[in-house]
Amino acid sequence: MPQARLDRREHITGWAFIAPALILLGLFMIYPIVWSLWMSFQVGKGMNLSFGGLANIERLTKDAVFQRALGNTFIFFIVQVPIMIGLALLFAVALNDSTLRFRGLFRTAIFLPCVTSLIAYSTLFKSMFATNGVVKNALMTLHLTDGPIPWLTDPFWAKILIIIAITWRWTGYNMIFYLAALQNIDRSIYEAARIDGVPAWARFRYLTIPMLKPVILFTTVISTIGTLQLFDEVQNITQGGPSDATLTLSLYIYNLTFKFMPSFGYSATVSWVIVVLVGILSFIQFLIARDRRSA
Amino acid sequence: MSSVKLRGVRKAYGAHEVIKGVDLDVPSKQFVVFVGPSGCGKSTLLRMIAGLEHITAGDLEIGGERMNDVDPSKRGIAMVFQTYALYPHMTVRENMGFALRFAGVAKDQIARQVGDAARVLALEPLLDRYPKQLSGGQRQRVAIGRAIVRNPQVFLFDEPLSNLDAELRVHMRIEIARLHKELQTTIIYVTHDQVEAMTLADTIVVLRDGIIEQVGSPLDLYDDPANQFVAGFIGSPKMNFLAGTIVEKAANGVTVELTNHKGTRLTLPVSGGAMGEAVALGVRAEHFGEPGAGDSDISLRVDVAEHLGSTSYVYANAGGEALVIEREESRHEIGVDQISVSIAAAQAYLFDSAGKRIR
Repeated sequence: MPQARLDRREHITGWAFIAPALILLGLFMIYPIVWSLWMSFQVGKGMNLSFGGLANIERLTKDAVFQRALGNTFIFFIVQVPIMIGLALLFAVALNDSTLRFRGLFRTAIFLPCVTSLIAYSTLFKSMFATNGVVKNALMTLHLTDGPIPWLTDPFWAKILIIIAITWRWTGYNMIFYLAALQNIDRSIYEAARIDGVPAWARFRYLTIPMLKPVILFTTVISTIGTLQLFDEVQNITQGGPSDATLTLSLYIYNLTFKFMPSFGYSATVSWVIVVLVGILSFIQFLIARDRRSA
Repeated sequence: MSSVKLRGVRKAYGAHEVIKGVDLDVPSKQFVVFVGPSGCGKSTLLRMIAGLEHITAGDLEIGGERMNDVDPSKRGIAMVFQTYALYPHMTVRENMGFALRFAGVAKDQIARQVGDAARVLALEPLLDRYPKQLSGGQRQRVAIGRAIVRNPQVFLFDEPLSNLDAELRVHMRIEIARLHKELQTTIIYVTHDQVEAMTLADTIVVLRDGIIEQVGSPLDLYDDPANQFVAGFIGSPKMNFLAGTIVEKAANGVTVELTNHKGTRLTLPVSGGAMGEAVALGVRAEHFGEPGAGDSDISLRVDVAEHLGSTSYVYANAGGEALVIEREESRHEIGVDQISVSIAAAQAYLFDSAGKRIR
């Protein structure tokens, strides 16, 4: 058989192999993405849509609720992601110490939250942090507070509650990445540093963190994406309240689409705001973490 | 420079003892090599000296001071690891100067010390490279450089050449020997390669199963092994062992009859052993002579012959007992499948069934 024909046959075979996956991806991913972009230029309620150009973007600038949701999402992002990344790193380093007893138990305990159902744990958190819940009783028994903390009714404490919840749920997930990366680091590197008299804090600061940098970047990016899409916890614990104090962009999209008179075009626009934000933030994170060496 | 002293040193992991009582003196400025098969405890012993492993029992002294519970960084040692253990995100310069930052050394002093070490190791053109941009040999030199800048009393090397290819290993071996001459420090070096031990050491310590089998200079160990293990371990190719029985004891020595060469007898100038005792006769590959040149001749069937030009190694056997014979001027023997060689009693060793030398 001539070479050209053989090449073409091989090409066809190759495409045939990936065609099922490509078709499914196209149908359920690419098409909705493109369609939502088109939708974001539509105005009107329910099925009564018409092309509105940039009207939706203009609406964003005047929409106080959207700006509230955007602000809340950023607060969650700025406060929660660093806390969680820091905690995950500390847990990972502690649990990587081969002299620690019951390592397996601790690892499982910290990882377990992230395999629990989002709805189940949210519901549990809601009841635990209720005005007369176990948290209030525990804190008062320990004399840490004089009265109940208004977890669900005060705008400040509601945000704290959401941050506690997602930190509990996702720290173990990030820790697993760090643990895996730590176990790939040659142990003699730390032994060499010990012999050379490098103190423990410096081994963490100047050896562990730089060597984990790619993984830290990865977890920061996925945590950023996760926080910008935060929905389940706020929907189930606070419903975005009190008075929109925990309303996130995702919850707002849900409300625009399913709770209020459906406004598909506008909610698609808000969705694209998240896409753009994820893009910008990830780019900034890559820029910060970029390898300074050119090689 | 400091001496290192071990007294009754033991190491156990739970009930499993890996170092079973080691006494050793490493004099100042000496190059001492721990050698032994894998699992003999040589690396563990080194790591105990370094302070990376706790000493279960016994005493460790470095420079006359008891160091059992002293932090690794305060023992006056520096260690070079098999995997180099370089900090991957730091340049060669940063790798070498990193530890000094925490020892309170001033910046310009660090630069000077790093510069000095780099000059000794010919690392100057590489100072701004990262470890991943270096070859194996260069990485090893950086690891040594990182040890040198700290001006240690004792250098510890843990199988430093194992990750290098054969050619580079020879090259680095010479570098390390040169370095020792130049720096005049005490060096303790662990390897499983007896050639490295022979070429580098002032003193070789042969270890097996957590105990010292023999301590001595390379040629002492080669010429006068204390037991069958050391005899077989030191020297390449390995010493041959021929099974035999003591058939006669007289004033002039002990006569052995070889089991696989019926009728071949050899009288060795030793006084130990008992009549009828099963023994092993040790003969080095290079000590087999032309037929008639020694005290007794044996004939063997050739399995394989390796002709290397100046020498040949003939792998032969008799009654299933495999032997290696080193021959010079053997080109005429190519294709031969039967050879005769002689054994000289003066160049043979006798070991009892427990492996102990009969003297």
